[in-house]
Amino acid sequence: MTLAYRLLLWLYPYDHQVCFGEEMQSVFEQAAQEHRGRGRTAYLRFLVAEYGGLIVGLATAWTVKIAGRGYVHDQRLIRTAALAPRPHEVQEAQERLTANLNGLLHAISHHQFVKARIYAAEEQKAREDLRLLRERYNITESGDVV
Amino acid sequence: MEPGKPLTEPVLLILMSLAAQPRHGYALIKDIETLSNNRVRLSTGTLYGALRRLLEDLWIERFEQEDTSRDKQAYRLTPEGRRQLQLELERLKQLTRVGIARLRMNEA
Repeated sequence: MTLAYRLLLWLYPYDHQVCFGEEMQSVFEQAAQEHRGRGRTAYLRFLVAEYGGLIVGLATAWTVKIAGRGYVHDQRLIRTAALAPRPHEVQEAQERLTANLNGLLHAISHHQFVKARIYAAEEQKAREDLRLLRERYNITESGDVV
Repeated sequence: MEPGKPLTEPVLLILMSLAAQPRHGYALIKDIETLSNNRVRLSTGTLYGALRRLLEDLWIERFEQEDTSRDKQAYRLTPEGRRQLQLELERLKQLTRVGIARLRMNEA
């Protein structure tokens, strides 16, 4: 269940993932644990509500982002630690990843599956590049310099 | 949030919950359940969508606590958030007053 949740979370705009991803997952896990103890029906109802809410939230987050009222320009939202200066190439890699992810989602939503496959390959490559750069500069996934 | 427009129920409940004390995400969900007599249970998607908007409008702020882990950040009301909550509660009070008066008029 956590994996499915994480997958849906991964579809949120990158900035939302950075700002709230860990927190959302942690809250979900706590709530899931609580509802599991209340019986099967309560747990199922909880899961339906959670995934439904997550999908609605996903659509809203992308609408906000596409409408230009996004998170990137709003540094107040990003955790203080994530504001630490990062090497230029890390920032570039991050932007490349976001651009490919946006392209992928746009292609999927317009049923352009050949294009989507190209974006998916590029997105994977960009993610790997970013991972290697983070390793080189000792930066965690959330942007902290270790 | 557009100034002057009524707040949505999740936003109103979040502001009410934070009016008493700063809270983490899970504590907010639990408190909102209590506030609404178990009628409203916010999903994480709804909660964090609303928190994001409130942060953008500077009605709430993240509250850094040294003893908490990164995935348990607390939120608290800003003076602007408190003012907006007061305005909304005033609006609801006024609406309730008018509604009750109309009911009484009909009964009389």
